[in-house]
Amino acid sequence: MSVENLSDGDLTIEVGSDDEKAIVCMWKGRSTQRSPGGVLNPYFEQLLTDAAAKELPLEMHFETLEHFNSSTISTLIRLIQNARAKNVPLVMIYDARLKWQRLSFEALRVFDKNDKKFELRTTE
Amino acid sequence: MSERDDSYSFSIDLPVRNEWKNIDLLRTSVQNCFAAVFSDIDGCHTVSIVTGELLENAMKYGSWKNTDKPVSFRLLVEGDKKTTTVSVDNPITPGDESVDALQTTIAWINQHDSAEEAYRARLLEIASAEDDPGASKLGLVRVAYEGNCTLQAEVIGSTLRVTARLAL
Repeated sequence: MSVENLSDGDLTIEVGSDDEKAIVCMWKGRSTQRSPGGVLNPYFEQLLTDAAAKELPLEMHFETLEHFNSSTISTLIRLIQNARAKNVPLVMIYDARLKWQRLSFEALRVFDKNDKKFELRTTE
Repeated sequence: MSERDDSYSFSIDLPVRNEWKNIDLLRTSVQNCFAAVFSDIDGCHTVSIVTGELLENAMKYGSWKNTDKPVSFRLLVEGDKKTTTVSVDNPITPGDESVDALQTTIAWINQHDSAEEAYRARLLEIASAEDDPGASKLGLVRVAYEGNCTLQAEVIGSTLRVTARLAL
């Protein structure tokens, strides 16, 4: 059974698939909750469990996200680690034309170990 | 001596109720105000990120238990076409440990060769924590890195003022 969309405050994550090549999550709106991990961490666990069962990578698209706070960045770090632990390839796609996205995601390259378990991509 | 050009000088000075929802209302308001004045959309978002993170810090670590006074804090955004200063005041209590923690964080950022280096180091610290750290303490480092700004904290009586200076 696939994981359903998430709606939490001003944030929506829409889940779909890319011709069964990946589980695709589209981040929309703003992630500004005081403790976003309370909702996001268990949701990410569901997504990773689903991706592992289907043997598919997980694609997180942030291109249309308007804003996230630093607490959300912490939950993304946890997602990167948990995906690696569960052997689920994780791809984060961002819009490099937006300075805030470029700065936020380029810094996450410290977790790219060149093992295809975590990958950052940009849209042109 | 040339006359000062005040055509782009601005000031936003507000008392704010300490309700979490107000952070994003103010963050987006500051972003929209800057968008109405300046054409640099990235710069407008940078100021809004700095504003949001400083407000979050004040809300999380301010002392809100004293019910004798109105439960609010203060946001001040001012500058001109070259620089912007974002200051947030929040109440503190004597001996407040969060003030020392904040001063330590700013000193820790300044120990690094660059804010980017400090930010990446903080990301790795968060990753190495065994459990979800809860309070990640990433906000101030993000302000220094993404805002490319200097940070200052000063105690004025029973108020803590955190100031970020950005070059636009």
